[in-house]
Amino acid sequence: MNRTGIIVAAESYLLRKGVVSILNRMPGVSVVREFEALPALEKFIQTRKRDLLVITYTLFDQSFKQLFNEGDLQDRTIILTHKREWQGGSGIPTIDSDDGKGLIINKMQALLDAQVPGPDEDPLLTLSPREKTIVRLVSLGYTNKQIAGELFLSAHTVITHRKNIGHKLGIKSVSGLTVYAIVNNIITLEELSSNPV
Amino acid sequence: MISREMAMCRAVLENNRLLPLFARFNIRLGFGEKSVEEVCWINEVDPDFFMEIANAYLEEDDIPREDLAHFPLKSMVKYLRATHTYYLEVALPRVELLITQLLNQPELSQKEVNLLSGFFDDYKKEFMQHIFQEENEVLPYILELEKQSLPDQPDPEFISSLKVYSISKFEQEHDRLEYSLENLSRLIIKYLPPLENQELCLKVLAELSDLVKDLVDHANMEDRVLIPRVSELEQQVLSEKKGP
Repeated sequence: MNRTGIIVAAESYLLRKGVVSILNRMPGVSVVREFEALPALEKFIQTRKRDLLVITYTLFDQSFKQLFNEGDLQDRTIILTHKREWQGGSGIPTIDSDDGKGLIINKMQALLDAQVPGPDEDPLLTLSPREKTIVRLVSLGYTNKQIAGELFLSAHTVITHRKNIGHKLGIKSVSGLTVYAIVNNIITLEELSSNPV
Repeated sequence: MISREMAMCRAVLENNRLLPLFARFNIRLGFGEKSVEEVCWINEVDPDFFMEIANAYLEEDDIPREDLAHFPLKSMVKYLRATHTYYLEVALPRVELLITQLLNQPELSQKEVNLLSGFFDDYKKEFMQHIFQEENEVLPYILELEKQSLPDQPDPEFISSLKVYSISKFEQEHDRLEYSLENLSRLIIKYLPPLENQELCLKVLAELSDLVKDLVDHANMEDRVLIPRVSELEQQVLSEKKGP
C-alpha cells in the first residue's frame, strides 16, 4: 500500500530533507509532500486527507487553532522538537532532534501502523459510506435517476454526491469510477456487466 | 545540480531526467562543447529560467525555490504550453499505443477489454478537456494579468472582471490527472489475469509511472509556483487601482 498523504512541515531546509529521507526509507511510503511555511500547508490540509504530518513545534504553535480539528489531532501528527525545549504537550507524540535513529523510525512507524486503511484503499481520497454506495451503483451502470430511486434520495442530492466524488477523486467519468471501484474493492470485476461501460 | 557554465552535453549525460525538458523548451541536441548558458541563448530560452526548471526537476520531490517567482510569467506560460503539447503529442499517444496492444492480449475477457478501453477513452477525453481549459481560459488570463500589471493604469474593465474570475477559482477546480492513472496501474497489477506477454505489461506500467511522475511534477509547479505568483500579481493590480 502506498501512502501518499505524508507531509513534512519544517522551516529549515536541512531539517525537512532529513525527515523526508528517513520517511522515504520506510515501507509503503511513496510521496512525501514538503512545506516550509503555513499558508501552503493549511490550504493543502483542508482539501486532502493525511496519513501523517510531521511538523516542527514552531509551525505547530502558530497553526494550532486553524489547522487541527480535535478528532484528527491525536492520531496523525508528530511534533518535531529541538533539544527538548518544547513542552506544549496536549498528548501529541513528539520526536526530538536529539532522538536516535531507531526511536525516530519506531515512533513514525507506530503512527503509520495505528491507522491501517483497508486493502488498497487510498487514504488520501477516502469516500463516505454513502459516496461508496453511489460509486458502486454508478459502476454497475445505474443512471442518476435510478440511483435516486434505489437510495430514496432526490436526483439533485445524487448529483451533488457525484460532484463531491468527482472532486475528491479527480475522476468524473463512469469508466474511471468503475476502475476506481474495482481497485478499491467496492465492486468486483465479476459483478460488472459485459456491456461496454 | 547543473550550472550555467557546465557543458550542456555533460549536464544531460549525467542527468537523463532532463531529457523531456528539451522538447518542452524546443532545444535541439547536437550541443558540441557549448555550455548550458550558450545552448539556451542559441535556442532563445532564458538560461535562468531553464536552470530553475532543470534543477527543480533534478531534486526529486523538492519544491521549486522561490526565485522562480521573478521570471516573467510569459516564459512560464510558454513552458506550460510546451508541456501540454508534449503530453498530447508524445506522452499520451505512447501510453495509448501500449494500451491498444494490451487490449489484444488473448487472456483478457471481453469484459476486461471493454473496461480498459472505455476507461482509457474517457481518460483521454478528460485529459484533453483539462488541457483545453488551461490553454483557453487560464493561460490567456495570466498573460492579460501580466500585461495589466505593467506601469500604466490597469484597464478598469479588467479590474472589475477580477472580481468574477481569479486564479483561486482555477485552483479550486484544478483536478489531478494522475489519480486515474494510478488506478489503472493497480488494475493491471492486481486485478487483470496474468498475461503471457509479461514484457508488455511491464512496459505499460513503466510508461504509466513515468507519466504519473511527470504529471505530479507539473501540477506541483502549477500549484506552488504559478498560482502563488499569479495571486500576488492579482493583489498588485488591485492595489494599483486603489492608488491615486
